Amino acid sequence: MKAEELNPYIPRSASVASVKNESLESKTLKLRLINWTAPFRPGQFVQLLLPGVGEAPFCIASTPSDPKHLELTIMRRGIVTNAVQYLRPGDAVGVRGPLGKPFPLDRFEDKDILIVATGIGIAALRSLILHIVENRERFREVTLLYGARFPEDLVYRDDLKSWAEKIKIIITLSKASPEWTGLRGRVTDHLNDVKLSREMAAVICGSPAVMESIAGELINRGIPKANIYVSLERHMKCGIGKCARCLIMGGLLVCRDGPVFSVDEIDMKAIGG
Amino acid sequence: MLRLTEKEVLGLCRRILDLGFEVIAPIDINGSLRLAIVEDGAKPVLGYVRINNSPRYFLLPSRESLFRYRSSATITSYGVKMRFQTSEGPCPITITPEYNLPKKRLAFFGIHPCMLNSIAYLDKVMLSEPADPYYSARREGMLTVVLECEEGDEYCLCQSVGSYRIPEGYADIILRKAGEGYLARSCSDRGEVILKELGKPDDGAEAGEMAPRMKTKYALEALSEASIDSKDPNPSLESCTLCAACTVTCPTCYCGDIEDKFSLMEPTNVERVRVRMSCQRRCYSTIAGGVTFLKTRDARFRWRLKHKFPFSKKAYGMVGCIGCGNCIAQCPSRIDFRTYIGRVEA
Repeated sequence: MKAEELNPYIPRSASVASVKNESLESKTLKLRLINWTAPFRPGQFVQLLLPGVGEAPFCIASTPSDPKHLELTIMRRGIVTNAVQYLRPGDAVGVRGPLGKPFPLDRFEDKDILIVATGIGIAALRSLILHIVENRERFREVTLLYGARFPEDLVYRDDLKSWAEKIKIIITLSKASPEWTGLRGRVTDHLNDVKLSREMAAVICGSPAVMESIAGELINRGIPKANIYVSLERHMKCGIGKCARCLIMGGLLVCRDGPVFSVDEIDMKAIGG
Repeated sequence: MLRLTEKEVLGLCRRILDLGFEVIAPIDINGSLRLAIVEDGAKPVLGYVRINNSPRYFLLPSRESLFRYRSSATITSYGVKMRFQTSEGPCPITITPEYNLPKKRLAFFGIHPCMLNSIAYLDKVMLSEPADPYYSARREGMLTVVLECEEGDEYCLCQSVGSYRIPEGYADIILRKAGEGYLARSCSDRGEVILKELGKPDDGAEAGEMAPRMKTKYALEALSEASIDSKDPNPSLESCTLCAACTVTCPTCYCGDIEDKFSLMEPTNVERVRVRMSCQRRCYSTIAGGVTFLKTRDARFRWRLKHKFPFSKKAYGMVGCIGCGNCIAQCPSRIDFRTYIGRVEA
């Protein structure tokens, strides 16, 4: 057995196949896995190692039907994510994963689905959206409610156009300039445009405070907590439950028990911190 | 049980040393009693109450190398502005796993039952699936000689958390002070072999449970997450200096950070190290974009208690506090969590 199979701390090799600018601050890296595959399910994450810089966790944003490549959409925020901006095709990186618990897709099948994403939170849900788009017949009505602050913050512009043929997409901007012709306001202002039902599944990802308010709003509108799923973010260091950096209220570890949780599993306070 | 004099007990320590173990025992180092590796001439201290460190320092060191790798990064400023060269081919990272295995197996000599409980707790955390390879390599074949504790000091609370009991399967030999000498009994096959070599008669007597005398007994009550949250802020936190001594000296604090270290003389040779991280620091709960979940020292103090009691109980079926009182004894402000979540028992 190879060392990286025995030791969960050792990353595997990958190289950058392409880099795509998504917005001013974020890029999508397409990684080619060298001599290995990562069969993953939507919602799982990987630890990306930039040699000499460090490791950081990112949700996989590519389609699960291609386990030879991983796409990660990364926004410039910290040391690792800043260094990501300097990557070029051909550069070498290390990848550990896939890690964590994915979305329970079997519970989504044959149901209406509401996907609420704000800001770069859509990166954690892209894999799920791609899976739904590719297997559209397995799901009923699917709505993507995507909120951002400025038009420049919107990512996956090309994808949004092609997804619009298969699912309903509502885009709203909270701080749009006067030229913006689309919807304005926060995502919670546009929940009336979505057909909500008790049986539907709702998936949320965004900044912690926003996720807490959206989850609260959906509960108020009668969606059971068990049907609302959130993808949480913490600064996981080990990814295998040994460093306790992603411990949340209720004693759950985001890396091992998450990052996908249904709202009845966790405390609402754990979402917003 | 075997009746041994103090000299024979120290002889037992030398015997374990001769068997090829790395013996770790309480040793007086410049007036501070610490667990340390027994080298020639060092004499283990047997009659003691408190040691300033714990077995965690050896099983889960404060800084350990996970592995080294070669990177093709050229660093132009502190790891931020950088260029990757691709001249070395499509995959220029070579990873050399460096397990840093201890040369010898570890043997803890003369530790108190509370410290043995801390090893039991760390086992639950680090050996749960997937097991931590570095911890399990150190833990492999470990031998323990436990010295039962007679009396606690003003900071001890092992009676409140029940950690004076020796966890099953963890001790090889148990020593108990009896008059001038010691009573020794074995709890494992290895312990039995070592004691038999001493050639002392075994009186076959059974030993009952021994609870140390406590200066003050505390009844810990509010141990659920909701009850810790509902408490008023601890007024003594005003004097908290954020030194994190409570977590540094805790035998069960295992929270960690993983970092890449390299010398600027040789920036392509990178070492991946695991260091300990304290939940009492603000950066512990900071995520991308600067969102911090535990903003105040009150929130972090509660977090430590929640991790020790309700979270550990739920995840591992065992509380993470082993009642050694190091977090109180080593705190420069003597912030006492016992009075916060419990009360003095009459």
